Amino acid sequence: MAYKPSMRRSGMTADIELDIKPVMNLMVVLIPLLLAGVEMVKLSIVEIDLPPASAGAGKGDEKDPEKEKEKKLGLKIAITMDGISLATAGTVLTGEEGEGPTIPAQATGEQDLDMLKEKLVELKKAIAEKGFKDKNTAIITAGKDIEYQVIISVLDAIQSYKDDAGDIQPLFPQVNFGQVVI
Amino acid sequence: MAFRPSKSKKHNTQLQGTLNMNSMMDMMTIILLFLLKSYSTSGALATQSESLKLPVSMRTTKPKKELNVAVAKDVILVNEQPVMSTGDVPPNEIIIPQLELKLREYAQRERELEIEVGKEFTHEVIIQGDESITYELLFRVMYTCGQSEFNKMRLLTVSSPPTE
Repeated sequence: MAYKPSMRRSGMTADIELDIKPVMNLMVVLIPLLLAGVEMVKLSIVEIDLPPASAGAGKGDEKDPEKEKEKKLGLKIAITMDGISLATAGTVLTGEEGEGPTIPAQATGEQDLDMLKEKLVELKKAIAEKGFKDKNTAIITAGKDIEYQVIISVLDAIQSYKDDAGDIQPLFPQVNFGQVVI
Repeated sequence: MAFRPSKSKKHNTQLQGTLNMNSMMDMMTIILLFLLKSYSTSGALATQSESLKLPVSMRTTKPKKELNVAVAKDVILVNEQPVMSTGDVPPNEIIIPQLELKLREYAQRERELEIEVGKEFTHEVIIQGDESITYELLFRVMYTCGQSEFNKMRLLTVSSPPTE
């Protein structure tokens, strides 16, 4: 007598489904939570480190012979409505026409940041081997009515440049602010 | 004679439909991963509004949470608390007295915290300025911060790195 064929084949193949309800619950909670923490706008900061107030004006007058020997570049960048003027401790850079700001503003009233960068890169290369103490520092002053956005754009422009090899080099990343004394 | 109830129909009603959630799960997983990737633990540092639009900068230095001085078009806020209106800034002095008072208060509190619980006083302050405020006002706010022991200033900007 032959064996009875196995019944396994015809046996109930139960349709097993994953129970994803708990996972769904988790998702429903997690997604709103993460959505709340998402950065919609990426923020960044411009760092300006001034010396503490107590070490400011008072001590500045004392003449330290050691310090006086240090070579200072003293780069100043003055922003006005007409354009940007550059000056170092010794000289004031003049514009193409001999007078007025070093970099005249464009006809649209916007500042010519590309030209500013060009001039500063030139300057940076010229002073590269001279051993100035403050070769990364610039003092920014601006006219009363200059908008904040213009100042930030100038800070961006003077931060870094690409050298001939294509590497990014610091231009004048350390910034100080001053006020125009008339 | 009554009909006998149909057996097949009786079973029909017990058919259960299940929702096919596979595609939804896929979607949820992708969204979850994306959100996890862009999640920041520091929370929102600044809320932009009509009178406080931050300037755009190419820099990518990440801000930290610090004391927060916001200079909007019409009002100056310290840690989201309005301190004074920009119209009340005295025209002839560089320092802004009301702001200085408030900042010194915060500096005092920070110093106390440093002694009591050892939280370091970083001297850092985040300045959020509206893109259209003038240099004069910005300079005064910065000078006031510098005079009230917050000499490390961070100008908050919206980051848009150059696309190459």
